[in-house]
Amino acid sequence: MSVAAPAQALAPNPLREGLEQERVPDASCLVIFGASGDLTGRKLLPALYSLAHDGLLPAGQTIVGFARPDYSDDAFRMAMREACDKFARTRPVDDAVWENFAKGLFYVQGDFGDAQAYARLNQKLQECDRTRGTSGRRIYYLAVPPQFFPVISELLGAEKMVTDPESGGPFTRVIIEKPFGHDLQSAKELNRVAVTTFRERQVFRIDHYLGKETVQNLLVLRFANGIFEPFWNRQYIDHVQFTVAESIGVEKRGGYYESAGVSRDIIQNHMLQLVSLIAMEPPVAFEADPVRDEKVKVLRALREFPKGHEQENAVRGQYSDGSVLGEKAIAYRKEPNVSPDSNVETYAAMKIYVDNWRWADVPFYIRSGKRLPKRVTDISIHFRPAPYPLWKKVRGVQTMPNVLAIRIQPDEGISLKFDSKVPGPSVRTAPVTMEFRYATSFGAEPPEAYERLLLETMLGDSTLFARRDEVETAWAWLDPLLAAWASDARGPDLYPAGSWGPESADVLIERDGRKWRRP
Amino acid sequence: METAVTSALDPLRSDVAVDPNAIEKNLAELWRASKEVADEALTRAALWNVVAHTCSQATHTQASEVLGRASATVPQRTIVVRSEPAAPPQIESWIGANCHLVGGGKQVCSEEIAIVAGGDRIHRVPPLVNALLIPDMPVAVWWVGDLPNEHEEYVLALLEPADRLIVDSVNFDSPADLMLVDRVSAKTTTTPADLNWVRLEEWRQATASIFDPPDMRSRLETIRRVRVVAGTSGSDYFGESVEALLYSAWMSAQLGHHVDAQAKVEGPRGVIDYVIERRRQEKSVGDIAFVEIRFDDGSCASISRDREKGVLVSTVDGVVSMPDAVTRAIAANLDELIVRQLKRARGDQVLLKVLPVASRLARRVAG
Repeated sequence: MSVAAPAQALAPNPLREGLEQERVPDASCLVIFGASGDLTGRKLLPALYSLAHDGLLPAGQTIVGFARPDYSDDAFRMAMREACDKFARTRPVDDAVWENFAKGLFYVQGDFGDAQAYARLNQKLQECDRTRGTSGRRIYYLAVPPQFFPVISELLGAEKMVTDPESGGPFTRVIIEKPFGHDLQSAKELNRVAVTTFRERQVFRIDHYLGKETVQNLLVLRFANGIFEPFWNRQYIDHVQFTVAESIGVEKRGGYYESAGVSRDIIQNHMLQLVSLIAMEPPVAFEADPVRDEKVKVLRALREFPKGHEQENAVRGQYSDGSVLGEKAIAYRKEPNVSPDSNVETYAAMKIYVDNWRWADVPFYIRSGKRLPKRVTDISIHFRPAPYPLWKKVRGVQTMPNVLAIRIQPDEGISLKFDSKVPGPSVRTAPVTMEFRYATSFGAEPPEAYERLLLETMLGDSTLFARRDEVETAWAWLDPLLAAWASDARGPDLYPAGSWGPESADVLIERDGRKWRRP
Repeated sequence: METAVTSALDPLRSDVAVDPNAIEKNLAELWRASKEVADEALTRAALWNVVAHTCSQATHTQASEVLGRASATVPQRTIVVRSEPAAPPQIESWIGANCHLVGGGKQVCSEEIAIVAGGDRIHRVPPLVNALLIPDMPVAVWWVGDLPNEHEEYVLALLEPADRLIVDSVNFDSPADLMLVDRVSAKTTTTPADLNWVRLEEWRQATASIFDPPDMRSRLETIRRVRVVAGTSGSDYFGESVEALLYSAWMSAQLGHHVDAQAKVEGPRGVIDYVIERRRQEKSVGDIAFVEIRFDDGSCASISRDREKGVLVSTVDGVVSMPDAVTRAIAANLDELIVRQLKRARGDQVLLKVLPVASRLARRVAG
């Protein structure tokens, strides 16, 4: 690692006070490894362009694509312009903003394992330091499969392209995309490799769910309002449901999905992040480590799957032929790059417990799947019924428990269901809903998750990123179930595409006298 | 998300008696009737009480149209007041609704109440407005046109329940208007907001971006001269140079410069020369046309507007090497400015710092 003289802390720019863009990072070189891939064109460059469009990137911000295909700078710019034309949130692309943005867009051709390519890359970055004022600040985005991570990491270190944060010199940060391993052992290995070149605080593990406005709003809902937290515990809450449903199948990702399944793809990361945010204790500050400390405590408190009975509270499913939104949908086993006798789960439902004082014996029902009737992510808090049924002898009165529903996507918002008297001379009740919708209240398109996460990386705030212990604790909890499923010849229960999952998932919750909420 | 906008004001409009209870009752009937005829779910929504104060048929129509469109983004109870002291003494009122289609075929509707008063009946307007506000919802009073600084009492009566006073200082005919807004801020709990200040945001953003790089931050202390060019129609109307004045006041307030009663400005290294120039131009009268910031060492930074490309271009010469920056020009039509004001949940604390400085610096423009 290179060592530079310690830098003095700089006072904030007083002219930024009160501006919408109150925090603008220092200009840096953002290197995207795997710049010719799908993620770069569909998400990363459109997100970076939208940040530039909104005035959130500093003058001099530089983006360098690094990949195997042989592009010139201009060809890369042209390809990225096309990508932004298609995928940027802020469309149509503003020519003047693009023109200036594209001046900071470069491309270096090379193999991930070729040391000489790194020397060329380093040369380009140093040139940008001189011409664009990036002053040695680096962000490396590894938009590559995890197997390339060790070699990229090693060669960045070998070429002295990583600055130790302890030196006080310009920052170096690295962004890693999920999957963060395939199980606990592989996750530990990935993390071990990471810290041979980088320190943990330089590593930004992206779980794009954490970049979603509504996910961030979970913390605001809980901790910026006085009315919810007193009821947010086992005394008042009967159970909590989490649904992450997708209407699409595996599409072109059959090969990847065969080695992952919904548990690795969604539950180990996105779903457990949502569970942590709902169940966590108030952090001492809204800062990276206090927030992540509380989240990891929830993961540590997850009740282990009982040895030998791992599947008692878990159901797995796989979609068969059916139809979604009126369109015929083929079975998972007929999808391209999927084994015709695959046992990979495209659906999972579990009843889990957070064993701590706040949540003792409150079941959290979680479910996620592909080829479900619609795309929706929804959390519902089901409160206990009123302690005494005052109208139990009155016909027409059937009180329902209150439900606080938090819609993460789409049509983001929060609703509260409660009973109300139906107008008229007799006492009759009906459930009514009080709704808050982002679109109605704020009327603005929220920024894409990647915009927020890229900006936070540039600013050096890792609150919205997964920490090493979070990732490893989540794997440690899930691994026994995955192992049990892998050794169970029965395979997943089939469900028709377009349904809400296998019947066994309904049984899982109905045997407790509850029902899945229709999100 | 709005997928389409429809103004349903006319079909839902009806005349009502000028009695707050009658108005509320008629509103309730209006909603019930429109729910019955609506094919899809209809939601009544409001985040703000917005009271627009106008003084002519033309400005009344303008305010009603602007707020009708704004309610698509910021649902609100709109009360448009037309107050004409010279008109015959009478008062009348009518109600309507602004409906907008949102995702899923749903309609979100906001209500509009119009109150027209003439002669001495105008004094009945503030209590009537007061009675018609939705409780527990913030109140913005949009004063359309120039502030009647000669009727400060009437202004303050109407502002009594207001959380925010929205003005457009491009309409101000004298520094006294600016001082009145500053007094509102100092004496009441109403926070002033200025559409001209919103127009200035792109210039503030472009200026801030010049000083974002660490190398440039230390040069803030070495500023010697700030020259702001205001585009004017050729007249010496005060409002046309207020945006430039606010810019100067903002720089000075944020950098901790001291501005004395004679509008002399001093920074940590001595006197700083703030120059506001007028330049005649055909379009965008009142807008800033150019900014130049000179430093101790003779180098300078400048910001100019590239109208064709719709951006502001910042350039820095001298000791620091940094690429030019562009800041996207922000739409400055009235609809957009109002929406941006109403989207701010809280008053702008920076404007509160700037107003007294602007009042002092106003001598440089008015004098």
